[in-house]
Amino acid sequence: MKGNTGKIIDVDLTAGKIKVDELPEEYYKKYIGGSGLAAKLFWERGNFDADPLSPEAMLIFMDGPFAGLKLSGTSRHSTAGRSPLTGGWGDSSCGGYLAPELRYAGYDGIVVTGRAEKPSMLLIEDDRIEILDAGEYWGRETAEVNSALKEKYGKAYRTLVIGPAGENLVKYSIILNEGHHATGRAGFGAVMGSKNLKAIVVKAGKKEMTLADPEKVDELRKELNPKIKEALASEVLHENGTAANLIGGMYAGDVPIRNWTSNFWEEASEDLTGSTLTETYLTKRGSCAFCSIACKRVVEVKEGPWAIPEGPGPEYETIVAFGTLMGSIDLAATCKAGRICNDLGIDTISAGGTIAWAIEAFERGDLTLEDTGGIELKWGDMDTVINKVVPMIAAKEGKLGALLAEGSVSAATKIGKDSIDYTVQCKGLEAPMHDPRGGGHGLALTYAVGARGACHVAEPMMFAELGSRYYPEIGFEYELEPMTDKEKPEAAVDMIAIGGLENSACFCQFADSEVTIPEWLDLFNFVPGYNWDIDEMMRAGRRVFYLKRLINYRFGRTADDDKLTKRMLEPARDGEPEGIEINFDGMRQRFYELMKIDPVKAIPVKEVLEEYGMGDEAAVVW
Amino acid sequence: MEFWKDENEPITMFLKMFEETSKIEDLSKGLKKVNQLIWFDYTQDGPNCSFWIDCRGGEIKAGQGKPDEEPALTMSLSADDAHRSWSNKLNPVMAITRKKIKVKGSATGLLKLAPKLKKVAEVYVGVLKDMDREDLIL
Repeated sequence: MKGNTGKIIDVDLTAGKIKVDELPEEYYKKYIGGSGLAAKLFWERGNFDADPLSPEAMLIFMDGPFAGLKLSGTSRHSTAGRSPLTGGWGDSSCGGYLAPELRYAGYDGIVVTGRAEKPSMLLIEDDRIEILDAGEYWGRETAEVNSALKEKYGKAYRTLVIGPAGENLVKYSIILNEGHHATGRAGFGAVMGSKNLKAIVVKAGKKEMTLADPEKVDELRKELNPKIKEALASEVLHENGTAANLIGGMYAGDVPIRNWTSNFWEEASEDLTGSTLTETYLTKRGSCAFCSIACKRVVEVKEGPWAIPEGPGPEYETIVAFGTLMGSIDLAATCKAGRICNDLGIDTISAGGTIAWAIEAFERGDLTLEDTGGIELKWGDMDTVINKVVPMIAAKEGKLGALLAEGSVSAATKIGKDSIDYTVQCKGLEAPMHDPRGGGHGLALTYAVGARGACHVAEPMMFAELGSRYYPEIGFEYELEPMTDKEKPEAAVDMIAIGGLENSACFCQFADSEVTIPEWLDLFNFVPGYNWDIDEMMRAGRRVFYLKRLINYRFGRTADDDKLTKRMLEPARDGEPEGIEINFDGMRQRFYELMKIDPVKAIPVKEVLEEYGMGDEAAVVW
Repeated sequence: MEFWKDENEPITMFLKMFEETSKIEDLSKGLKKVNQLIWFDYTQDGPNCSFWIDCRGGEIKAGQGKPDEEPALTMSLSADDAHRSWSNKLNPVMAITRKKIKVKGSATGLLKLAPKLKKVAEVYVGVLKDMDREDLIL
């Protein structure tokens, strides 16, 4: 096999057994890699009845075909399985340094089942794969464990680590690579915790991979790397990070404020934007392996209540989740919040969404002092959020910690009082920091139909509505107006396929914005050597979307789950989009028609599945 | 060119627009935050079809042609697309993606101005009216 190795590591922690499986090339051709191939493995091997935190649950780490290629944006991997937060399909993309190391070590992925008797870690050094005791790391924070592992094994060993939150089975726990790069969404840190798996450490002897056409890959890489580096968006991201355009987002109405109760806060735009972070707390820029964009931030807050030593800095999502979403414009506080969430091992998006919901619930009287154990929750009170609420969540401490550690849907269901109406989530996954009422109505559609829930990176619809996606070779030449539903379902059909490619090939959406359809095709034909045409490639992307829908259907999901909450569909308040409502039902209906999705079961009709070579899967669900 | 009779006409309009813009406190403040020397290069429509603005050091200066110093940011496009752009009728991200606008240098400053472009467009419409070119209003 070229590009991919065709091998995955299969670990049963209950039995303490490890084996290496070879996968059929057909799996790769049909589902590519990353979250697509993970979905195929789950379909074939997963236990659909198993609780996501039970030993029977399957946890999958999967590279894309381009990992290790020394091409900007391709050093990501996907973690997947049943999400403990949502109960449905979950996948989460992570940058950093794990993916190429695993490929060079000889593997495309790792599948973990079972539960170790005691805290353990997995060590992979080429053919040597061992389950080791991790008792000395249990209970310790991610940064500390990452440093200890580096000290013990060497700096070149790549790490995946969970924090105390994962050990405590907080439903939105993360897995951190190199102490900086997060597998943030869907709660896979808790799945690792449930398996008593504290860390995975990988080191390859040789840094090589086998390519179908090495010369052409080299030529392509020489074209693509400078093109990606010199693109305007890349330069902006390099200079000021992922929050570089927070000002533009704020004026458009895209930045959520106080649990999505407003679409404009002028002062926040300047105070929280990426250039302000650059001017105040940035000490260095960081990157994922082989990426020339280097959008990662390294920050230091030297003094004040939020002082932190030099280390990982906040992304846009963290800045907004612990900024405007909670009624604060204190940039230093977002740096501190991001740091403790990383150290404790919590997803800043779900934490932000859940805490913002709790603040509103308290303000409304739906959440009482009795519920919070005497803690008052107020907009902008970052001292309480950072010093009390977040640590309580990570430890599941007290009534409030236990309530919020399960996520906003669980918390709202427990307290009732129609508080579910003002949760901001789809399928139980708290929405990222982009409000479709100002950012673009198509994003509302893709939030709702996304397999894992409200997600802005499952499909690049947000970028398409901004105007940064243009694929004339597949007829994607729409001039989309963000604030209407016009042509959004049609655009979503193409963005679903592109998103399927991106998340299965594990290609960063910032970098691959510069990659044309013919260049995508060249990558598949020169790296794994598939000899695809454009149609076959786009079908593979769409097939991944279809398979994830089938998995969700087997988890009990239907069209009733492809919806947004009342809060998300209220007319926008303040700023540019004030008063505008989203024609959500119309978009979704049209999208179902275009994708030939059954309007009740929310899965593709049998004929479509057969057309996509998914006859066996069709036989299970129809 | 679809909108202009010669290469000097658009530059006259655009320089007048910046002159008026700098008189409005909110916009002037926004421009100063850009804090860059920018060259708007429309020379594909004629060698004199370009202008620069210099927002460094708390002042706003502008002039026709290429600046003497190396600009921090160069935006190259046609004079017609510039007219659409200053009229707020051209999505700049889309135009960049489709290679209608080529950008060289740091766009950080310009991002700070982006939210004000709607107001700049209002000024531009006023300039077109003052210059008896209402026919150009999009």
